[in-house]
Amino acid sequence: MKKKSWILYSIAVTAVAVVVVTAYSQENVKYVQDSAFKTKMRPGAVFLHDEHNEKAEIDDCGTCHHLYKDGVKIEDETSEDMECSECHKINGNPVPLVAKYHLRCKGCHEEKKAGPVMCSECHVK
Amino acid sequence: MHDIYNFVSGTLVWVSFILFTGGCVYRFVSMAALAKKKDPVIYEYMSLRYALRSIFHWIIPFGSENMKMHPVFTIVTFAFHICLIFVPLFLFAHIILIKESWNISWWFLSDSIADVMTLIVVGSCIYFLVRRITQPEVKFLTSISDYLILAVVAAPFITGFWTYHQFPGHKFVGIIHILSGEIMLVAIPFTRLSHMIFFAFTRGYMGSEFGAIRHAKDW
Amino acid sequence: MAEPAVNNTKQITDEGIVRGASKLTPEKIERVINSVLKAETGARLKTYVDICVHCGLCSEACHFYLSHDNDPRFSPAGKVKQTIWEILNRKGKVDAEFIKRAAEIASTECNLCRRCAMYCPFGIDIAYLLITMRRICHKLGVTPQYIQDTAHSHSATINQMWVKDDEWIDSLMWQEDEARGEIPNLRIPLEKEGAEIYYSVIGPEPKFRAQLIYQAAVIMNASGVDWTMPATPGWDNSDMCMFTGDFEMMARLKKIHFESAARLKVKKIVMGECGHAFRSVYDVGNRALGWKMPPIPVVHSIEFFYELIRDGKIKIAKKYEKPVTFNDPCNMVRGRGLHEMGRFVTNATCEKLIEMHPNREHNYCCSAGGGVINCGPPYKKTRVDGNRIKAEQLFAAKARGAKTIIAPCHNCHGGLEDIVHHYGLDMDIKFLGDIIYETMEKPE
Repeated sequence: MKKKSWILYSIAVTAVAVVVVTAYSQENVKYVQDSAFKTKMRPGAVFLHDEHNEKAEIDDCGTCHHLYKDGVKIEDETSEDMECSECHKINGNPVPLVAKYHLRCKGCHEEKKAGPVMCSECHVK
Repeated sequence: MHDIYNFVSGTLVWVSFILFTGGCVYRFVSMAALAKKKDPVIYEYMSLRYALRSIFHWIIPFGSENMKMHPVFTIVTFAFHICLIFVPLFLFAHIILIKESWNISWWFLSDSIADVMTLIVVGSCIYFLVRRITQPEVKFLTSISDYLILAVVAAPFITGFWTYHQFPGHKFVGIIHILSGEIMLVAIPFTRLSHMIFFAFTRGYMGSEFGAIRHAKDW
Repeated sequence: MAEPAVNNTKQITDEGIVRGASKLTPEKIERVINSVLKAETGARLKTYVDICVHCGLCSEACHFYLSHDNDPRFSPAGKVKQTIWEILNRKGKVDAEFIKRAAEIASTECNLCRRCAMYCPFGIDIAYLLITMRRICHKLGVTPQYIQDTAHSHSATINQMWVKDDEWIDSLMWQEDEARGEIPNLRIPLEKEGAEIYYSVIGPEPKFRAQLIYQAAVIMNASGVDWTMPATPGWDNSDMCMFTGDFEMMARLKKIHFESAARLKVKKIVMGECGHAFRSVYDVGNRALGWKMPPIPVVHSIEFFYELIRDGKIKIAKKYEKPVTFNDPCNMVRGRGLHEMGRFVTNATCEKLIEMHPNREHNYCCSAGGGVINCGPPYKKTRVDGNRIKAEQLFAAKARGAKTIIAPCHNCHGGLEDIVHHYGLDMDIKFLGDIIYETMEKPE
């Protein structure tokens, strides 16, 4: 009995570790995802983190992973360890959060006139 | 791509919204003024109560004798009009675009329901087309413009479905989708689609004549 | 794809149309069409033409369409396509041949019964579009000869049948005399100022249906109402000018009619069993004069009989035995909603009423109204062939036992007589007045 539960426990810990590492490991990001989205209307937006930043020449993590306090951006702090929805709360309606993501990605693309802007360009089936 | 996209989803949206609302207001105001000048009977005999009575009977399915005589047409036309209005107004993707642009949003349909409703619109358009080609009494009344209007109405839904499901060429079709929606919007006040503006008034006037003067029903 | 607007193989032989069209020039046609469109039409015509989505749902409303095996040329919108749409598309640049055919379509292949108005989802008044075509034809001088003759009679004599003033008085006195054989103290009070009821009839009654005046006099006397008839022009409430498109003359006729009633200071006008006349006095002619509703209340015989029976002024001695069916006339049913009153009178006077289908507001037209029967012999075939559906409707009622048709309208009466005869229906046709006269308790 004791042996069995120990095995189960270690499997569970490993599984959690794998999930957490996958989710937060910058090297492996392929899709934009956020656990706040319970049901997905479309496939997650394709996003290869490192390739994107290299191509877009983004060095400052805070460009996307920003942190605000009382409506003011804190310059030297970033938020890689958080999900966007931790601040941009969803409260049952996904529309504001989706719009935030879109403005972050599409807004920049439009500004720079580079990168995808149409629905099917990011939400690839 | 960016330039084209920005043009159709920016400038042209404004142009089409302005032409649509401006066109509707213009058509309505100019028609009301013309009626005042040339058809004062409309103002004299229009009765709110009987207008509403008539409109009510004609906007509920099978509310009139004619609808009962054509059950398939009735079901198709009601499904068509409901989907035609609901899908563009309550599509999630449209809501998001509006939220991004103007920071306002409202209730939305789930994408799977919107998908089915889109197919209903497209299917209805095919039904109308087949009816136009095969039914002698409809064919006799048909001119090229009737096919064009049908195409204008069907296009945004076909292209929307196409680009949502990412069939080949979906990026290009996406642009066409936006464009065709704008064309349809602009077409409403200036073509036979203007029955959207005038339906309530022609129906209401006939209802008033039948109800208030002739003491008879008109459904 | 698009069908030709005019597909005419039939030779037009009507004198009025042929001769009128022979005097036309393309310039005159264009000028007249555009002057009518510009001066007399507006938002209604424009909206109706602009929003029609060519759905064809009006088709099955029309007896001509149904009777011609669903030939699209006879559908309501199909007729508009061959007339008004074409004129608008070509901005009035049409030839005399087009006008001839358009005159025929508007005047003889549409009864303006307004059934289609109840079938168009948008409520487009198709009869209005076709009367506008008639108006243009009138202004062009291209109208069927027979109905034009009645319109001429209206202008010359203020009645439809060239009845001279003294002949009118003579006819009334003659019927009074006849009726006195039955009811010795019966009167037809002429020119009684301050009477409650002014009774008016159509020109054909003194001309060839004088017994209707006799019967009316008996009913009036038996019910003891205070009534009168005028001894001057204005007695004829009929109006063929309304149907030829001669709206000026229509207004003049109604003015004289209302004025003769006003002169006698009556409380209301009661009209004989005529449909088109009721439409003219109650709905159309008064508007042409600027009266939203008639200046003197107008009561159709159906309603009048209903009141007499309801109030016990007329007692029924013995009900009419043969099973009857009731033909709802367009102008009193779609035009005034008198269908239930008509049934009340029928049930009060007849043993059994067998409904024809469709009925009430949805009844098929008789194909005689709207001036079509008045276009005379050249178009008798048009209207009788054009109403096979009515024969089928009546056959179905007959199969369920109906032997007599009650038609409380002169045009229905005339139209149904021809249909009954042509299709071998072998049914009697009666006015409500006939039935009441037959079944009522008469004073000694």
